[in-house]
Amino acid sequence: MSDIKDVLVPDLGEDSVEVIEICVAVGDSIDAEDAIVTVESDKASMDIPAPFAGDIAEICVAVGDKISQGSLLAKISAAATTAAETPAAPVTEPAQEVAAPAALVEEVAVVPAPVTTSAVSIIEVTVPDIGGDENVEVIEVLVAAGDQVEAEDGLITVETDKASMDVPAPESGIVKEVHLNVGDKVSQGSLVIHLEVTSTTTEAAPAPAQAPAAAPAPAAAPVVTATDTAPVAAKAPPVPHHPSATIQATGKVHASPSVRRIAREFGVDLTQVNGSGSKGRIVKEDVQSFVKYELSRPKVTSATASSVGDGALQVLASPKVDFSKFGEVEEKPLSRIQKISGPTLHRNWVTIPHVTQFDEADITDMESFRKAQNVVAEKRKLGFKISPLVFIMKAVADALKAYPTFNSSLSADGESLILKKYFHIGIAVDTPNGLVVPVVPDVDQKGILELSKELMEISVKARDGKLKAADMQGSCFTISSLGGIGGTAFTPIVNAPDVAILGVSKSEIKPKWNGQDFAPKLMLPLSLSYDHRVIDGALAARFAVHIKDVLTDLRQIIL
Amino acid sequence: MSEIKTQLVVLGAGPGGYSAAFRAADLGIDTVLVDARATLGGVCLNVGCIPSKALLHVAKVIKEAKHLSSHGVSFGEPQIDLDKVRDWKDSVVSQLTKGLSGMTKMRKVQHVQGYGKFTGSNTLEVTGDKGTTTITFDNAIIAAGSEPVSLPFIPQDDRVIDSTGALEMKDIPGKMLVLGGGIIGLEMGTVYHALGSKIDVVEFLDQLIPAADKDIVKVYNKTIKDTFNVMLQTKVTGVEAKKDGLYVSFEGKQAPAEPVRYDKVLVAVGRKPNGLLMAADVAGVTVDERGFINVDKQMRTNVPHIFAIGDLVGQPMLAHKAVHEGHVAAEVISGKQHYFDPKCIPSVAYTEPELAWVGLTEKEAKEQGINYEAASFPWAASGRAIASDATDGLTKLIFDKDTDRIIGGAMVGTNAGEMLGEIGLAIEMGADAEDIALTIHAHPTLNESIGQAAEIYEGSITDLPNAKAKKK
Repeated sequence: MSDIKDVLVPDLGEDSVEVIEICVAVGDSIDAEDAIVTVESDKASMDIPAPFAGDIAEICVAVGDKISQGSLLAKISAAATTAAETPAAPVTEPAQEVAAPAALVEEVAVVPAPVTTSAVSIIEVTVPDIGGDENVEVIEVLVAAGDQVEAEDGLITVETDKASMDVPAPESGIVKEVHLNVGDKVSQGSLVIHLEVTSTTTEAAPAPAQAPAAAPAPAAAPVVTATDTAPVAAKAPPVPHHPSATIQATGKVHASPSVRRIAREFGVDLTQVNGSGSKGRIVKEDVQSFVKYELSRPKVTSATASSVGDGALQVLASPKVDFSKFGEVEEKPLSRIQKISGPTLHRNWVTIPHVTQFDEADITDMESFRKAQNVVAEKRKLGFKISPLVFIMKAVADALKAYPTFNSSLSADGESLILKKYFHIGIAVDTPNGLVVPVVPDVDQKGILELSKELMEISVKARDGKLKAADMQGSCFTISSLGGIGGTAFTPIVNAPDVAILGVSKSEIKPKWNGQDFAPKLMLPLSLSYDHRVIDGALAARFAVHIKDVLTDLRQIIL
Repeated sequence: MSEIKTQLVVLGAGPGGYSAAFRAADLGIDTVLVDARATLGGVCLNVGCIPSKALLHVAKVIKEAKHLSSHGVSFGEPQIDLDKVRDWKDSVVSQLTKGLSGMTKMRKVQHVQGYGKFTGSNTLEVTGDKGTTTITFDNAIIAAGSEPVSLPFIPQDDRVIDSTGALEMKDIPGKMLVLGGGIIGLEMGTVYHALGSKIDVVEFLDQLIPAADKDIVKVYNKTIKDTFNVMLQTKVTGVEAKKDGLYVSFEGKQAPAEPVRYDKVLVAVGRKPNGLLMAADVAGVTVDERGFINVDKQMRTNVPHIFAIGDLVGQPMLAHKAVHEGHVAAEVISGKQHYFDPKCIPSVAYTEPELAWVGLTEKEAKEQGINYEAASFPWAASGRAIASDATDGLTKLIFDKDTDRIIGGAMVGTNAGEMLGEIGLAIEMGADAEDIALTIHAHPTLNESIGQAAEIYEGSITDLPNAKAKKK
């Protein structure tokens, strides 16, 4: 088959020039770069060459005509074979670096001449709007001539500085000709393939009585896929070209025209939006909060960027690595608890300005007291042991009473502090399924023995996975104790809406100067992380010292 | 030959075209407006909506004055000075077109008179009385409208006229055939009847104004049974032009056996798009064989920088649709992400009485399988309608029974077209029957029939027997 293509006058650097000679005649067979006409400006005369080889079908100018950029010069019937030999040249960018004024080529928009039957036609598939990027590189050609493709199948993959994306087939059909190679630079409108489609819709005339159906999309929305190489995260994703922008708001959507317009502007599919107005009407604020929510939502499907909170913090995507290249691997899904706690931990880590205060408590006396009491407990067959954690809980409760700011939460609007008059303490428990935080209520009102019993019961429940939601709610402050395992210090993450958390590491006998000589003391490392929006450093230091003092001399509690 | 370079050329200065051009200019786009006529406003202002309304106003007053004799006030037979009537109509048109011309200058939109044809994807050549102008543009909006369909078997004769000819009002024919029972034919028939012509209407389908619901048209039929002789399911098979008149032969259900003589035949069988007249294909724009140009919801043709609006992008061929499409096209060109996304487009036949409908008709609701219920308030129960001698009327609202939301409405009766706006607003805002019923409508008005129809659906109507009343 052959296409008739228009040859337009390229940028000549002059507004208007005169044709002084026509170098070809209709029917002439010419090669690319052969002169079609000679023109003369007041500065010089020059030839306008053919942009590609073919037969001259029509000459649209005459000697003496004034022509300027964009004027139709001639029509050339380009043989398909010739076009295939020089695939990209005529259709890629106007190649401005080429000094000679290579003629611009404009494809005749709809290629005429159905091939065999009226039901089969050949359409051009061009690069759609790719978010304003020009000269993006083709990194993969996914189809070859003869391939059968379905609508939305990727044809080529291009890479911009933001993402790589597939250019999809607008309709199903057979690839007749591929016009691009890997490495070619393309822009919106560049010819990708010729596609043979068997259709009834494109040929059939639309019924006059119908509202105009959407034109067979000249450029299907690009499908964005994750990039393999780390992209430079810069701008927000091109929202206006969100695929849902093409979804028609149906008559079922309960939204007024102005709301439908703002939804269109943001590419919001109104069928996805819950209306807060009377009888479920979608109001402008619903669209705004939908957009905010979508921007702040951790992105599961798109690895291009993730963002948190209303401030829309953008971070780089982690690179995708194929670990199996380096050795044997096994993929194990995250546990249910990990899946639930992960996003929460991430949010707390990113949204709370953390500071961690380190200190050490001398628990020499506390430990000897505790051990003595455990001997008593065993004799009395109480069925549990007293752990150091219980003393720490009591100390924390006492410190919370002394420093009410630590027993608070920020209000939802961030304008005030909500001070709590109760003393429920969450205890981070390591279980086979993951980290859970059961809450021991009213720690201030309970004795060491009662707390020990309760702590044992709740730990068993946690390890057996039998905690109820109510068992894990209402904490004021959290303690995470790794003392039984080891470590000198760590930086725990505040368990919002708490404003602080105490990490406890392994105690160790250290030489301490008592004024005359070094004495061996059992020292317990404490790591107090706090929300700096609520608590400042001096207060945190005082709070830590208070805990330390109580642990060093338990009599402090009864003062 | 002069040359113009511009950011936007709008081809056609009808309501769609000038609205697009003005909107674009207001958005800071350098705009050129091209039209074949010396005056702006296109068919609508010059030979369509506006002049026909001027004449319908005259017709309405004649009819009401006559009617008043039965209420004790007689004016006698009207004395019609056709030249003066025509002058009045022309003065209405010229007042409006002058206004447009002023606004064009105010907005610094350049008006080029002549026929425009594309010579390339970014060039348009305009041939006018003052020579040829080549316009090089970045964007174009094709708004070239439509023209009346002419029938090939009807001879070329001065006495065969279309809507434009009818509005010229050369004379008042003794007997006129209106070929086509649609809005345009019936409006012109109304005018000529009021001025004294005897009117026959022939329609191929089984209903006048085929797009409207039967119950609405039925009320209309009742009011016109003494004015027009209507022949439904009948077609014209031939027109023979003789010295003493046009002899028309018919075929079909209500066809007279012998050819009938008419002084004039008004052909009003529809309009065809002008998409094939501006060589859009040279610019790469696909135009179908009937002259329609396919566009997307941003009014973009297959060529990204060329847009099309109005009659030539499809039905309904209505000025107000074109205006909104024109705004969208201009806004999209200026970079806004706007879409033509209405829930409904109103239709009005400015006959006497008027027919008006918006949203879904019952016919369409049925076809789409919607679980709907229609509630109709007959104007015979309206105090204002009785007082205004306008009881031949009906207000019908159509609700989706699943949501109780209004999806359509239709009215027939005096000023029906003026009242339709409320229903359109209710549909766009997603109002349900309760919202409309609880909106207090002024009493006594014809407009309160809308609230009352909603009350019928709600079961709270008190001005009529209430079929939904909870009986104990």
